[in-house]
Amino acid sequence: MKSYDLVTLANRNLWRRKGRTFLTVLGMIIGTTAIVVMLSLGIGLVESQKEQMAQWGSLNIIRVDQAWSFPGEPEENRQRRLTDEAIEEIKLIEGVLAVSPAYEVGGEAMLGRKIGYISLIGIDPGMMELFEFNLAHGRLLNEGDKFNVVAGSMVINSFYDPNMAPGYWEEPPQSDPLELLDKRISFTLMNQRQQKRIYGLNVVGVLSDKSMEHAWSVFGPLSEVKKMRDFTMQGMGSTPGDPGFPPGKDIVVPDMPRGDARAREEEQYSFALVRTEDVSVTRAISQELRDRGFNAYSLADSLEGIEEQARQIQAVLGGIGAITLFVAAIGITNTMVMSIYERTREIAIMKVVGASFADVRALFLAESSMIGMLGGAFGIGLSYFLSYLLNKYVGAMMSPGMGPESAPLQISLIPPWLVLFALIFSMGIGLLSGLYPANRAIRLDPITAMRHL
Amino acid sequence: MPILELRNIVKKYRVGKEVVTALNGVNLSVEEGEFLAILGTSGCGKTTLLNVAAGLEKPTRGEVVFRGVVLNKLKESQKVLFRRKYMGFIFQFNNLIPILTAQENVALPLLFDGVPPRERLIRAIRELDRLGIKDRRLHKPLEMSGGQQQRVSIARAFVHNPHIIFADELTGNLDSKTTHDIMRYLQQTIRERKQTFIMVTHDRDVAAYADRIIYMIDGKIASGEEGGGEQYA
Ligand SMILES: Nc1ncnc2c1ncn2[C@@H]1O[C@H](COP(=O)(O)OP(=O)(O)OP(=O)(O)O)[C@@H](O)[C@H]1O
Ligand SMILES: [Mg+2]
Repeated sequence: MKSYDLVTLANRNLWRRKGRTFLTVLGMIIGTTAIVVMLSLGIGLVESQKEQMAQWGSLNIIRVDQAWSFPGEPEENRQRRLTDEAIEEIKLIEGVLAVSPAYEVGGEAMLGRKIGYISLIGIDPGMMELFEFNLAHGRLLNEGDKFNVVAGSMVINSFYDPNMAPGYWEEPPQSDPLELLDKRISFTLMNQRQQKRIYGLNVVGVLSDKSMEHAWSVFGPLSEVKKMRDFTMQGMGSTPGDPGFPPGKDIVVPDMPRGDARAREEEQYSFALVRTEDVSVTRAISQELRDRGFNAYSLADSLEGIEEQARQIQAVLGGIGAITLFVAAIGITNTMVMSIYERTREIAIMKVVGASFADVRALFLAESSMIGMLGGAFGIGLSYFLSYLLNKYVGAMMSPGMGPESAPLQISLIPPWLVLFALIFSMGIGLLSGLYPANRAIRLDPITAMRHL
Repeated sequence: MPILELRNIVKKYRVGKEVVTALNGVNLSVEEGEFLAILGTSGCGKTTLLNVAAGLEKPTRGEVVFRGVVLNKLKESQKVLFRRKYMGFIFQFNNLIPILTAQENVALPLLFDGVPPRERLIRAIRELDRLGIKDRRLHKPLEMSGGQQQRVSIARAFVHNPHIIFADELTGNLDSKTTHDIMRYLQQTIRERKQTFIMVTHDRDVAAYADRIIYMIDGKIASGEEGGGEQYA
């Protein structure tokens, strides 16, 4: 039998009992819809969490902090120091695109009459683009910049007017980041000997990023910030029993002989950012760095837990869908068995006039897979509709942000692969459901069938 | 060489604890181009004999030899090929597929043989035309009379030019006028096409169209005689 004859014949057999076929297809539609919608919820969950994480920072970037350890800690537990050598070593790890070492200093700052405390980070201006600094206004740093800086989008909120009533300070008004552009911040640093230096910083750009890494800091050229950092270290280690450095980091003290503490500390960067080729390798590289003794951390590290959790939710949701689909599959088998009872004589006739076992089996499998495929196709359509409703009504209620610009949460997401999977899967289910009936049809003895009907 | 030979065929059915012997040592040789009628009372084993001869049923003992091939030793898949190429079947009634039109029913053996639709259709219509029911070719079986349905069955049995045709009580449900029309048609056609025809009946008048008549009693062949085939030619 030719395949087009098979399809025509199967199709006609299917529609001789329209009501019954429709009900069976309906079962498959419900089954497919259940599984697709359930899986789409799981996928939506993972995607929206990833999106949320992306707001905290990039999944392509690993932060390596300078080594800090307790005095007397055993050698093998000590973290690796973030020296130039270490930077070169990290650059050689496979999957690492670039490494940008950075210095960080913190100090009081004044913006007009407002005062605040800012953290100034020195980075290589050439690295800004690669490390996903996105501008809202102005420009990024250039090679020649000295006291030009780029401010994070939230930096403006670090400043407050000391003359304002205290009530304002408790709940600072949201300021426009643009306020900072082309302004001059005077930045005060103090070293261990209580000596002061005041720098004038020109804000040449304001970032748009909302991530914590970028939003709350001010970024300046690496070389200038290094000089500032070296200044803050002056006097360090000269007073034995000094509680430690830098300010803000308590408990920990650099683990080294007091005498050359400063010298050794000076050769370390404050931290380094490692840019990886792709999100998929970030976690592995982050682990590799920790294995080598670096104090590395990446947002991608916590992705695993989220993915694991999502997998579990997906398994539960998918399971519910699978049960529905299983019931639908039984429906197909039942329909096909009934159909064989009704068509006993026909099957016998076909066998007598030359239908082989393979032909009979093919006919019944074609009919059952067509039911499966029809159910799958319409089920996908229905899934899209339900997914749309879920996102529009339920997703909107669960929207993470409040503002008008925050998009409704995509709680249900149907990627193309899921469509393909559902189609093939439902056809496969149809095929499987037809196996038992098809074998019954094959075993049917034509002579007995001819005699008794 | 005979086209079909039955050698010492025994067919027993087990019904519960009882064993029914439907065929009890049948020997029969059918020559190429022969029109054979098997005549006997109800329950004597005619249908069983026909089914065994066509390879639709396995004998308990004995051999069915079709053109030198022992049919009952073949696998089902091989027997199917024999049926497709060489054999045609006509049963008493209700042997059409209800969802298919007359022409599609006729073309069915060609469909299973993989003949393309156009050629199938041409051959099916030609066969229906010969039987005088071309105008009914688009009707479904339930939209036709018993006689018309039987003509469609006959067209189907001949459409693939089989070498041998088996017919079981093919006129059982027809009036005598239709019966004689059909019998005359069959006689003519198989002679024209040099086909072999084996027919089972309990009707002496119908059997009379055959070249040879064989009498069956209780699962055995009682005797044979020349039929009156000539007189209708
Ligand atoms: N599948 C079966 N199981 C049990 N017994 C059977 C079976 N088929 C036939 N028989 C028995 O074999 C015997 C011959 O049956 P068969 O159908 O060949 O008779 P027949 O000559 O064709 O009769 P009729 O003219 O009524 O059609 C009968 O006694 C019948 O009961
Ligand atoms: Mg009979």
